[in-house]
Amino acid sequence: MTGPDRPQDVRGAGTASPRRRPWRSRPRRGRAGPLTYLVLIGLTVVSVFPLYWTLIAATRSNAEINSVPPPMVPGPNLLKNIDLAYDEIDLTKAIVNSLIVSGTIAVGTVMFCTLAGFAFAKLRFRFRSVLFGLTIGTMMIPPSLGAIPLYMMMVELGWIDHLQAVVLPTLVSAFGVFFMRQYLVEALPNELLEAGWVDGASTFRVFRSVVLPIARPAMAVLGMLVFLQAWNDFFWPILALTANNPTVQVALNNLGQGYVPDRSVIMAGTFLTTVPVIAVFALLGRQIVGGIMQGAVKG
Amino acid sequence: MRITRRMPTAVVGTLVVAALSLCACGSDSSGDDGNVTLNVQLFGSFGYKESGLFDEYQKQHPNISIKFTSVQQESSYWPKIQSQLNAPSGVGDVYAAEVSRIAQVTQNQADRWVDLKTLGAGDLESDYYEWKWKAGTTSDGKLLGLGTDIGPLAICYRKDLFAQAGLPTDRQELAKTWSSWQAFLDVGKKYKEKAPRNSAFVDTAGGLYNAILGSSVKQYYDEGGKPIYETNPAVRDAWNLAVQAAQTGLTARLKQFDEAWNKAFASGSFASIACPSWMISYIKGQDKNGSGKWDVAPGPGVGNWGGSYLGIPKNSKHQKEAYDLIRWLTAPDQQVRLFRDSGIFPSSKVAAARSEVADAKDPYFNDAPVGKIFSDVAQNLPVAVHGPRDGSVLDIFNNGLLSIETQNTAPDKAWQDTMKNVKNILD
Amino acid sequence: MFKARRRPGQGSAPYLFIAPFFLVFAAFGLFPILYTAWVSLHEVDLQNPDEARWIGLENYRHLFRSEFFWKALENTFTIGVISTVPQLCMALGIAHLLNYRLRGRTFFRVAMLMPYATSVAAATLVFAGLFGRDFGMINWLLGQVGIDPVDWESGRWTSQIAISTIITWRWVGYNALIYLAGMQSIPADLYESAAIDGAGRWQQFRYVTIPSLRPTILFTIVVSTIGAIQVFGEPLLFGGVSGHLGGASRQYQTLGVLLYDEGWFNYKLGYAAAVAWTMFLIIVAAVVINTTLARRRWRNGA
Repeated sequence: MTGPDRPQDVRGAGTASPRRRPWRSRPRRGRAGPLTYLVLIGLTVVSVFPLYWTLIAATRSNAEINSVPPPMVPGPNLLKNIDLAYDEIDLTKAIVNSLIVSGTIAVGTVMFCTLAGFAFAKLRFRFRSVLFGLTIGTMMIPPSLGAIPLYMMMVELGWIDHLQAVVLPTLVSAFGVFFMRQYLVEALPNELLEAGWVDGASTFRVFRSVVLPIARPAMAVLGMLVFLQAWNDFFWPILALTANNPTVQVALNNLGQGYVPDRSVIMAGTFLTTVPVIAVFALLGRQIVGGIMQGAVKG
Repeated sequence: MRITRRMPTAVVGTLVVAALSLCACGSDSSGDDGNVTLNVQLFGSFGYKESGLFDEYQKQHPNISIKFTSVQQESSYWPKIQSQLNAPSGVGDVYAAEVSRIAQVTQNQADRWVDLKTLGAGDLESDYYEWKWKAGTTSDGKLLGLGTDIGPLAICYRKDLFAQAGLPTDRQELAKTWSSWQAFLDVGKKYKEKAPRNSAFVDTAGGLYNAILGSSVKQYYDEGGKPIYETNPAVRDAWNLAVQAAQTGLTARLKQFDEAWNKAFASGSFASIACPSWMISYIKGQDKNGSGKWDVAPGPGVGNWGGSYLGIPKNSKHQKEAYDLIRWLTAPDQQVRLFRDSGIFPSSKVAAARSEVADAKDPYFNDAPVGKIFSDVAQNLPVAVHGPRDGSVLDIFNNGLLSIETQNTAPDKAWQDTMKNVKNILD
Repeated sequence: MFKARRRPGQGSAPYLFIAPFFLVFAAFGLFPILYTAWVSLHEVDLQNPDEARWIGLENYRHLFRSEFFWKALENTFTIGVISTVPQLCMALGIAHLLNYRLRGRTFFRVAMLMPYATSVAAATLVFAGLFGRDFGMINWLLGQVGIDPVDWESGRWTSQIAISTIITWRWVGYNALIYLAGMQSIPADLYESAAIDGAGRWQQFRYVTIPSLRPTILFTIVVSTIGAIQVFGEPLLFGGVSGHLGGASRQYQTLGVLLYDEGWFNYKLGYAAAVAWTMFLIIVAAVVINTTLARRRWRNGA
């Protein structure tokens, strides 16, 4: 043999006997070379520098930020700027609200999307293709399309300035359904499902004990992505909420008011409200990565 | 297969969360104990919070609590409140409306705003500049907005840069020299000859254009409400002068209120700017080390840029309380305080006549008699004809001029594009 | 013990699984969209929505005759291509790198998602500053090598490249993570077999990784296409005060920005609704074309 045959052949060899081999084999065992590290470090710098600039701006005064050339290291004004920010808007409330909103949306979306994704991936029912097509179709709707009627609806329901006005419309994520379906099609062996059904378990039981554990890494990734997106969402929350009951982005929009928008205060607010997100990352980063790894090793 | 058997707890959990979040547990804005919460929606900065006016009002009226929301950009604020204005039940009790919107309010939205005369505002008419009061009144005499401030225009300039370029720096002398806008441009050309590097005479062609057009009674609409932007010679003249400035390199080719424009105050990228009174604080905020470098001189024409009104939506549940608040906020005493703290020029003649305003001098601007300069302009402002889309049309013209400045568009093409864009809005 | 029953997974269970999603969608997604379709057949002013006037398909006719629409469509296409194609290729490469056994693996993976965690406003502000004409760092760097400052925001291609850079920056880590998740499910013995057959790293990447990732790649292409057609935040915020116009001569106005401009600046809700529905149809067409092309190529490649 002079080279690998077509990938299908290679693949066939790998999945020939699922019972003997663990379903998910270990990840690539290649070791990273120094060039890889260099590239990754460069990418990290590029990825992080706007956040770093936010930190610099948050710790300096407005005049310093506007000077040419701008400062490159953080300064001493962080607490002062945060103080000013708090003078204008209750950032703690905004952060708590955002945590509630983003958390609920993340949990809800992941649950709904895993349920639906599983159904589309492995269950057979009439209209499955049509409904899946419809689901993908919902993804193609521009966000501003339904904004005005949605707003009128929220006014009628009396939900303006309440968190549910922001949570409920955002619970639909066709992307999440698509994502979970893709993942489960790949990662969920039919044999396991069959085994569960043959043993007399209901579909829900099978879902809980077979599907969920396997789906967990993808659920974690999806949950994190949805959480982030909900946290940074500003178009709809600015319409639906006011400064009385803001999420973080609504609050930031009201910051730095004055004839001279005080950039340093806005950045201080931005920085303060990005910190929980980074904290979530830092804490869960290991979990998520571990989750993906675990999913790969599990038999 | 039974559905109820062993539903995944996670699913149940989610449904519970959803159900809980459906409970509209919100608070009503007025309890039975007579406490009233007023929701005030503003844009930009009116200075009320900075000057402690809200706090003071709440102290004077313990049963009133004020919740105010401010959106920085007026262009984001106005569409946002439209849904609120048109909703069956109100969100806000007080809304601000900029002068570029007031015609929209009086001409097309009269059914949605409270006639303040029914709440007692009629006796305030003589306090205000006639043109300011009229702009807030409908054709059948309803008053829909109480004027907060105005923006009479002068020229703010960098004394030090003028000196470097060999120009006179005394404000009276300059006012005499630039007795017309063409003369202003000629001063600019002299500036250009010996200007320091990277320093243009004026900030933007658009700012210049707006100042020039500001002296005209009729701008984009005529008295009948018909758009005349294409044929009005005042528009053409202002445009041509601005184009001249752009093509002779007199402008710094910036965009007003952009980051780069903010930085330019301190860096000296432009030496002069058409300056409404509220720009005074703006300059101080952007150029913290500029004290003594800037000065104010009367400009070639009389124009107005900006100024707002406070109004009450018909769907507010607390109209009387809201009226009391806005009457107090716009009272001469408060307007004088705002002028003192933030340089916001009063829309009330009474306030402007007080010595704290009329004799005010600003040490940052070399002790320029800002009170006198701006009130002279304010008294001579024409009763301009406003149209519903004034602000948007100005925006388009600014972009047309910007395109000449930064994209080397030929002026004729820029004019055609501007016409196309304005037609797009007005049709 | 084998119970004689209907084949499991059929019956009403599947519908219950998809019900929560569709219920929420029907209430908060479907109804507003249908109502907007209704709105697009009227002339509606945002400031006076009660005075809606029926005009049938006039909004759509006006749209197709409007040079602004065609310009926005063209801009959307060019920005879409510049911001998607290099981005997905880079994401594949980055995922490949992240898949190695690395020290500080978690750190790098988390770092790659930082752009996605940064708010659009903050990020665009920073980049707009970098691309600034007078004080931007990129022009300063260009000046160091003797190139004249570029007015990034004014030019057509320069502004689109700048905006595409912001979009790429934001999404490359996100897509890399998705590819990475997919890569994790590729059995190692595929790589071992290929290695045994003499394939080097690059060939393994080309003949094992990429084909196994096909569904995932298609998924990201579809999602990216949809996102690219809707792109709105970056051009809007990049342009500052003239962002809603997409620059002084609409040089970077995308369909999403046109929608926003017509609805929230010109207050023509009916017309904006028509733009929105047209975008929707374009997206559908693009996705269908995408998936058909992909399927056909894969089928032919088999």
